[in-house]
Amino acid sequence: MSALRTALRVEALAWRRSTVPRLATPLLVGLVPLASIGLVALARSGAVAGAGAAKLADYATGDLATTHLEVAGQVLAVAVLVAGGFALAAAFGQPLADGRAGAYFGLATPRGTLALARCVVVLGWVAACVVVAVALTLGASAVAAASLSAPFGPAAWAAAGRALAAGLLGAGLALPFAVVATATRSPLATVGALIGVVALTQVVVLVGGGAWFPYAVPSLWTGTGGPDAAADVGGAALAITAAVAPVGAGVVVAQWRRLTDV
Amino acid sequence: MPEALLLDDVHHAFGGHRALTGLSLAVAPGEVVAMIGLNGAGKTTALRVLTGRLRPTSGTARVLGRDPARLPVDAARRLGHVVGAALVDPALTVAENLRVAAALHGVDRDRSSSAAGAVCDRLDLGAWAHVPARALSLGNAQRLGVACAVVHSPSVLVLDEPTSALDPRGVVLVRELVRERAAAGAAVLVSSHHLDEVARVADRVLAVHGGRVVGSLDPGGAELERRFFDLVLAADSAGASAAASTRDAA
Repeated sequence: MSALRTALRVEALAWRRSTVPRLATPLLVGLVPLASIGLVALARSGAVAGAGAAKLADYATGDLATTHLEVAGQVLAVAVLVAGGFALAAAFGQPLADGRAGAYFGLATPRGTLALARCVVVLGWVAACVVVAVALTLGASAVAAASLSAPFGPAAWAAAGRALAAGLLGAGLALPFAVVATATRSPLATVGALIGVVALTQVVVLVGGGAWFPYAVPSLWTGTGGPDAAADVGGAALAITAAVAPVGAGVVVAQWRRLTDV
Repeated sequence: MPEALLLDDVHHAFGGHRALTGLSLAVAPGEVVAMIGLNGAGKTTALRVLTGRLRPTSGTARVLGRDPARLPVDAARRLGHVVGAALVDPALTVAENLRVAAALHGVDRDRSSSAAGAVCDRLDLGAWAHVPARALSLGNAQRLGVACAVVHSPSVLVLDEPTSALDPRGVVLVRELVRERAAAGAAVLVSSHHLDEVARVADRVLAVHGGRVVGSLDPGGAELERRFFDLVLAADSAGASAAASTRDAA
């Protein structure tokens, strides 16, 4: 436990000083409330016509606050996967690409422990961003609802809970990209894999397999594919999706323990 | 006295290239051994094996009697090394890097600041203590790398070209540090191209060529460069004769 405490302290300091969270944190926590409030306002303004209006049609009706928080969940489900994937590509791929990983050998703090701490720190950062983004959306939505004398009831709180859970699930789905970064020893190849998985997810959803595909589950569950697609996502699919993070962390720790030719 | 560092008949190949062809060496506590050799001779590959970063095809590697690829924590606490990139995060300041290195090497949290401060002063890095490592000159970055490797006062030290980017003052600082560690009982293995520097710092000099040690040189003797090339030429001649004999026999 002492080695893990040391590793967590070291990795947290390194992450705080890293460029990635400095750039990604304001984007992640700012984008979600802005997109949620903005897209719903746009959909209800009548200012958008044609294909844009069709895409925003689901946001044009229904309880205002609940819709805000459903949109927040949909945006978060994708945004945290992309942010987490980029972050893990940098955190695990860069030291292997530039040779710094060689210095992690022969330390009193084992490499596997450092890898686990790195996963925990990056995942903790993404989770904190999710919590702040949902909290800001809740606050902004409450203000918007109050100004329009719209209700802010249990359905809105339930949508907030689902947005929070979808965001955390999406964050966990990023962990396998630490495995890819370690295997390829390249942050760029990892970003390529991330883009590939996002594209693959679209295909899987199109052919109707999304309800069981972990990378599609958070988006579908928050209503991106409509209420029927959301209802198709069951507890088992959510459990499988949640299991991706611990499995990914376990694999990356094993990879770093067995690392050679560095 | 048992060897603190040992390579015994180590072979390794990268694809078709034989990087190590039976390299053997040993370093005892309190001794500074230098490896010299031409580019591609196998020095860095040997050091990577000794620090656990590369598992050789065959042969034995030992650090404090243990396999460096599976070094237990008690042995790892006593090892310091810089082979290629150092234990330095470019985004952290010099002082932060030293504290992090101390922590990762197993120095207690309450002692890590004092250990970091001591090595910072010892390698004259105080003026840059609060500067991010990425802003350092090449020479100061190399001194920081060495500082991070010795912050925990290791009893085994492995350094690959530790003075390659240093100015004359930096060379003297690192040389004195290496001698101090050896005087304190540490086993030190250094690779270098700088024959003058090797002559000043090492107790023994090993000439590495073609992936193995081809001879030992007295660092105190005259004309170290000529004696090194004599060993290299002799090894090449012996290799050519052996190849010719093999062809004739075939």
